[in-house]
Amino acid sequence: MDEMTEMREKKNSGQVLLIAAFIMAFLLLSAGLYIFEVGKIMGEVESNSLNDFVLAVKLGSRHVVVGSLANVSNGGSNSVLKWNLQNWSSFIDKQYQFGKSVLNYTLEETAPYSSGIWIDWGTDGFGVSSAYANLTYKLLGREANLNQSYFINITTTLLVESTYQVGVGDEKQVNVTINLLNEGKPALAKQITIYYKDQLNNWLIPDETNNNYTISDYGNGTYLASFVASIPSPNVEVSAHVFDQREIYVQANETSTQI
Amino acid sequence: MFDKKGQIRIIEAFLAIAVIFSALIFTTITFPSSPNLAKQKSLASFGMQALIKLDLNGTLGKLIAQENWTDIKQSLDISLPIGVSFNLTIYDENLSPINSQVIQNTNLLGRETVSVQHVCASQSQNIQFFILCLQLAWTR
Repeated sequence: MDEMTEMREKKNSGQVLLIAAFIMAFLLLSAGLYIFEVGKIMGEVESNSLNDFVLAVKLGSRHVVVGSLANVSNGGSNSVLKWNLQNWSSFIDKQYQFGKSVLNYTLEETAPYSSGIWIDWGTDGFGVSSAYANLTYKLLGREANLNQSYFINITTTLLVESTYQVGVGDEKQVNVTINLLNEGKPALAKQITIYYKDQLNNWLIPDETNNNYTISDYGNGTYLASFVASIPSPNVEVSAHVFDQREIYVQANETSTQI
Repeated sequence: MFDKKGQIRIIEAFLAIAVIFSALIFTTITFPSSPNLAKQKSLASFGMQALIKLDLNGTLGKLIAQENWTDIKQSLDISLPIGVSFNLTIYDENLSPINSQVIQNTNLLGRETVSVQHVCASQSQNIQFFILCLQLAWTR
């Protein structure tokens, strides 16, 4: 009888051990799976913050190039672009908290660019103010390493066409059509000033009261300026000085054709 | 006798495998993937998207340079979903706070917040750099 009870107890203890082992396996698996799930979300959060940081760096780089071109086109030194990009690069290198961040830049030197700047305010109705920089952003993060190369080309182009009609005496009715482009796409101007050359070779601004000066905005980057002026010479020269919405300055001269 | 013991052990082994797999399936189905973290993730995403949207055409840098804190607050009010509270602090390059007014819609005290950071450059002739720290929380 005693032997039978011992045998049953032995058999039961084996089953209990087995069940305990299953329960432990179950708990371990559950805990492991939970930790894995939480870790996955943290990874996603960090990966998103990484992408957002890279986007912010690219946006900032673009703003730096735009601001530098605005400065240079308003009479600043060509070295402003280099100086600003250097400062931006140093600023960015210190910002990323979860790893090492390095922003390198090179200024475009291929003609017509010099030190990343191309300014050409011509006499053929074409004017351009442009800046070009190549950048490389390296980030060695806890979650990911990345190495991205990108370029920033900011170009404000001005196209001027002009015609005139002879009026009474030396009076001429002059029409100037202005097209403004940002990166090749039509853009709105912030300020437009039109000049014409008088008989003494002075550049004058047409007056609204004396010259019937009007300027029409077509809303698509095209503007039409019209004025009447006393210009004895058959060579009617006009000049358009324009600031775009980003405060980048560009100008172009044009000789009007008689119609 | 020996054959029967072997069969039972094999059945036990199968049973063990079945238990482990059922545990695996059970945990994936029933355990939520940390609701708090998911909520924080969406908050952080909303915050970053709002700042980046405002910075796309240089408006953010311009408003900061003009010290136009009211317009920044209004822009964030429009960009962020209803039910999100925020508090924005703007620092200069030397990490000194520059916003003289508090840029927030409601007080965040006592709430579970998430913080996002954005670096920004002004698009002006005299370029300035800023660090923006946006704290966000869901309103109860």
